[in-house]
Amino acid sequence: MERHVTERDVRRIAEYVRIALAEDEIPQMTADLNAIIEGLRPITEYDLDGVEPTFHPIGDLSNVMRADAERPSFTQAEALANAPKQQDGSFLIPRILGGDDA
Amino acid sequence: MPFAAMGIAAIQAGLRAGEFSAREVADAALARVRETDGAVHAFLEVTGSLAHEAADRVDAAIAAGSFDELGSLAGIPIGFKDNMNLAGTHTTCASRMLESYVSPYTATCVRKTLDAGAIPIGKTNMDEFAFGSSTESSAFGVTRNPWDLDRVPGGSSGGSAAAVAAGMVPVALGSDTGGSIRQPACFCGVVGVKPTYGLVSRYGIVAFGSSLDQVGPITRTVRDAAMALNVLTGRDERDCTSQECTVDFTANLNAGVAGMRIGIVPAFLQARGLAPEVKAKVEETAAQLQALGAHVVEVALPNAQKAMSAYYVLGPCEAFSNLTRFDGVRYGYCDPGHEDLGSQYEASRAVGFGPEARRRIMLGSYLLSSGVYDRYYYPAQQVRTLVTRDYARAFQQCDCILAPVVPTAAWRFGEKSDPTSMYLADMFTVSINLAGNGGMSVPVGFGADSGLPVGVQLIVPAFRDENMLRVAAAIESAIGQRGLSPLVESKGAVSFGLRGDAR
Repeated sequence: MERHVTERDVRRIAEYVRIALAEDEIPQMTADLNAIIEGLRPITEYDLDGVEPTFHPIGDLSNVMRADAERPSFTQAEALANAPKQQDGSFLIPRILGGDDA
Repeated sequence: MPFAAMGIAAIQAGLRAGEFSAREVADAALARVRETDGAVHAFLEVTGSLAHEAADRVDAAIAAGSFDELGSLAGIPIGFKDNMNLAGTHTTCASRMLESYVSPYTATCVRKTLDAGAIPIGKTNMDEFAFGSSTESSAFGVTRNPWDLDRVPGGSSGGSAAAVAAGMVPVALGSDTGGSIRQPACFCGVVGVKPTYGLVSRYGIVAFGSSLDQVGPITRTVRDAAMALNVLTGRDERDCTSQECTVDFTANLNAGVAGMRIGIVPAFLQARGLAPEVKAKVEETAAQLQALGAHVVEVALPNAQKAMSAYYVLGPCEAFSNLTRFDGVRYGYCDPGHEDLGSQYEASRAVGFGPEARRRIMLGSYLLSSGVYDRYYYPAQQVRTLVTRDYARAFQQCDCILAPVVPTAAWRFGEKSDPTSMYLADMFTVSINLAGNGGMSVPVGFGADSGLPVGVQLIVPAFRDENMLRVAAAIESAIGQRGLSPLVESKGAVSFGLRGDAR
């Protein structure tokens, strides 16, 4: 079976999609992805020359506009109600600037 | 009639006649859940107080003589797949990621049923983020098929299908991205409708594949599905794909199929992996429709095979994109103790997402990456054009296609552990989502070999959903009243406080 992704690729993808994979999870994920991608091989082999893509089932409808009017929305408290951490009416996150590499 | 066997008409007739109150209907449904859901585990959350509030509004209307103004689901218990927001309830998508998330708002489809007088019984189990065909990937435990507790209910809307099959609710809502309403309905011996893309608003549903997702009803009868669909459809400015709809889906249920052209796809019936008992049921149904005056014609869907690989490219790509929103900052699981945002994101998503969700996110990201995109994603969208053309051509020759739903009856837990083998179970359903037309599963009895429920699929052109319901109604009346699931029969005699039962 062709190796579509290497363990190095998998580490890079995991970093890109922001999912921390433990070192011992990498081989299994690599094997899983290779098996699935191999299963998708037929899509690379069809003769599709000149076929227009359809990106959406409703492609031929015209746009619908509405007035740009103010409407009721969440209160600040409602918007924050599910936040794991908050402070002073804001979502709280760890620092993104500063530290050793600032 | 025990509550578990009652559909919309029976419940509303009882309410009108004063045989029981809406409060008693709510209590009967809640009692039924207590009685059977220990074994089935269809519900992730039961909304007893919301049910009582809704029931009391119905009873107040009955007392005031305004029952008929309430709406066509007045007094009807309903379940919602747990990817549908209902304000004040947890909406977990059966994922650790959303375990503690409480909806601050209500999805349009949920709102419409409640506005029509439905009684919310709870939120139903599903494959995590709808990634699966068995409900085994739920982070909160599997749902069991009421027909055989050792078997899967199908998925991803497995909880909704099982709740309806076990007589806990007469109506539940599901969502269908590649078969997730039709396949569990088939496995659980109930009716499941995947409406045309654009018929029902998805606002407030946690998105999986935005160009594929559609919401629809799961019920025990075709008429109940049509009544639910009447409530669900229509333009919602919060889902730009939703369309105006003025069709009454109950209008031609008794019109019969005389003169209708029913398409059969010979290649589907010769497909590798199609169980003989499923094939036999499709052929029996075709013969029945012919006996009822329909013309059965052969049609071709030459690109149906290509649809499979296209779906398994597009699904993960869209899922990857939709699941980027789970950052553990605004809502969702947040891994504690991180000193920088990057590692907080990475740990939160690693712990919050289960194995299948992680696989699909990784796969989607890979397929959309530069250089790879042209090899998979773009051809998949070209295949979509071919699939759509296939259907357009087939529907010049027929009004409705009759096909299998799933190649086999429900499988046992753990029987399909390899993700790619489970993918094959979707071979007859995914092309409908790619093309965006309507499809539904209607039960046609039991497999000769397995003894388990088998359904057939009806497929119609976009926005001709009334035609599949019409054919389904004809099949249903030809077959006659189905037996209830063993779970219903063994426990159905118990009175749950409905005065009608006690007599």
